[in-house]
Amino acid sequence: MKIETTLSGSFPKLPLEPGAPNVRVVRNRMDQGKSTDRDLADATRETTRRIVALQESAGVDIPVDGQVAWDDEQTYFARGIQGFEIAGLIRYLDTNTYYRQPEIVGPISWTRAVTVEDFRTAQKMAHRPIKAVLPGPYSLYRFSKDRHYRNQEEAAGAVGEALARESKALEEAGAAWIHFEEPWLGRATSSDAPVVRAALEPLFRGRKAKTVLHVPFRSPTGVLDAIRDLTWTALGLDLVEAPDAWSVIPKVPPGRTVALGLVDARNTRLENPSDIAKAVERARSMRSDLTWQLCPTASLEYLPVDRAAMKVSRLTEAARLASGDGG
Amino acid sequence: MPRGLWTTTVGSFPKPPHLERARSQFARGEISAERLNELEREATIEVIRSQEEIGLDILVDGELYRGDMTTYFAERMEGFQISNPVRSYGNRYYRKPVATGPVRRTDAWTVDWWKFAQDQTSKPVKGMLTGPYTMMDWSFNEHYPSREALAMDLAEAIREEAIALVEAGARFIQVDEPAISVRPEELKLAVRALGRAVDGVKAKTITHICYGDFDVIYPALLDLPVDMIDLEMANSRYDLLDRFRQHRFTKEIGYGVLDVHSHRIETKEEVKQGILRGLEFLRPEQMYIDPDCGLKTRTVEEAREKLAVMVAAVREVREERGITA
Repeated sequence: MKIETTLSGSFPKLPLEPGAPNVRVVRNRMDQGKSTDRDLADATRETTRRIVALQESAGVDIPVDGQVAWDDEQTYFARGIQGFEIAGLIRYLDTNTYYRQPEIVGPISWTRAVTVEDFRTAQKMAHRPIKAVLPGPYSLYRFSKDRHYRNQEEAAGAVGEALARESKALEEAGAAWIHFEEPWLGRATSSDAPVVRAALEPLFRGRKAKTVLHVPFRSPTGVLDAIRDLTWTALGLDLVEAPDAWSVIPKVPPGRTVALGLVDARNTRLENPSDIAKAVERARSMRSDLTWQLCPTASLEYLPVDRAAMKVSRLTEAARLASGDGG
Repeated sequence: MPRGLWTTTVGSFPKPPHLERARSQFARGEISAERLNELEREATIEVIRSQEEIGLDILVDGELYRGDMTTYFAERMEGFQISNPVRSYGNRYYRKPVATGPVRRTDAWTVDWWKFAQDQTSKPVKGMLTGPYTMMDWSFNEHYPSREALAMDLAEAIREEAIALVEAGARFIQVDEPAISVRPEELKLAVRALGRAVDGVKAKTITHICYGDFDVIYPALLDLPVDMIDLEMANSRYDLLDRFRQHRFTKEIGYGVLDVHSHRIETKEEVKQGILRGLEFLRPEQMYIDPDCGLKTRTVEEAREKLAVMVAAVREVREERGITA
């Protein structure tokens, strides 16, 4: 059976080839007054084109747009939502990357699509369905500082409603897959279950697109009972940094998909595709009633672009081996 | 009369534009290492002079000869290679060390620069190093079987450098550990590694920590085996003081009062209020007033203006409270 491949989150924005359109250079030149917004838009579009092409030429089945315009994983979306203000820089969990902390300063209200144009742009460049990537509502809530709501469930629910509206807009624009990056599900415990449910439930009401809840860095063991019966299509697990996530697989409801995060997005050491294929086989031997995707453990932007590109190739090679195609 | 509220900075200063250009020219092979070194020395003299003019009590060399706080050291060690750029936030990138073999110190990393800076001033200049836990956490590891094994080898190397700095005359050794604040489950490893790095170092030892979730690591943070812990206070709107209310801060503190990620120059009054709020929970002799973090992301002018405001605010508080330096 074919194992589909996909990526999680963003992708390095710097080019592999010197002289190629480079958003970093353009943004530096903008700071010096030497480049314009239009230059940045051009570089962003060409970088997206390169990232989509890289994935397609490697054989990724469900590519992403790379989130080229995003400064971090939270604020690009939060800036576009009423009720959020963006505050100081804070470290993104235990990574040496940072985000500006969203602050909830009033009622959260979705008034316009934030990511739909980016999705359309990437989809026009692609021959395969682009997976739209959004922050997960529970994580966006936990990454934010709430200065408005008195009640955690109410606040998390409002964030969930905003992301549900965004998801609907993406669906209407043609998105077949919507990915929610949910690192905080790996840090939640059973006592967080009501807040987790409040954040996630709105996402799946009337949803037509296939959905992924991807949990990088840690296992979602602590809240598995709270999310099991939600109607997500796929659950993404980080099986490298969180080997205990293997214990989640037996508890996944029948008929669902597990996205196996077996390519380490946080270390340059390159995996052997046959080792990955063996790990896929291990997962398949555990459950015959699930379908499988293969993906990196997290966003590949934790790596330099050369290694990220190599990891994409290893990923697709491993999927071919695991699918019995070319092994 | 109580003493305290000494002023200092966390480490890095902005590189002046001509030095940034020179570094790019050097990277492209357009100028020699000697020429770059000459410009770095001139800029270091200027940074020392500027700190003296502003009136800081404890100075730094400004780290104008360094790029990233981990890569600078990794480039000078055996066992590391350096990756292509990786993004940290927005448009900021750094080259990340890759441990590809056993890591070790083969030569001094900062001693000559410390001596050069100290020769320019009669005020004490801090020796500035990056800690073993942070070096480990911010590197890719292609060699060691565990994070602990890499961290402890790094601790040995850093200890050798710290002792060399003290032998050269340094009275303050700062071993920065900004990565400590994010993995509470590894705090014991961080304590052990930092403890090894400062073991036998006969100087006032300091560690700087920033941008993490202090809810989960305080008060365990106080186990860090150093004399002073330097913390960002302004960036989190002095929220940390609530934790100090619940559990007394028992060490000396580097008390950050300037947001280093904002172009805005703080007012003297807001810095003063930040210090006065700290004095509700801390004794003046515990407190060293400084920016939240290194100033390298500000312009030369912004850094100077921010520090001048800080020193003016400290002077007013000292005068009002009868505190001497």
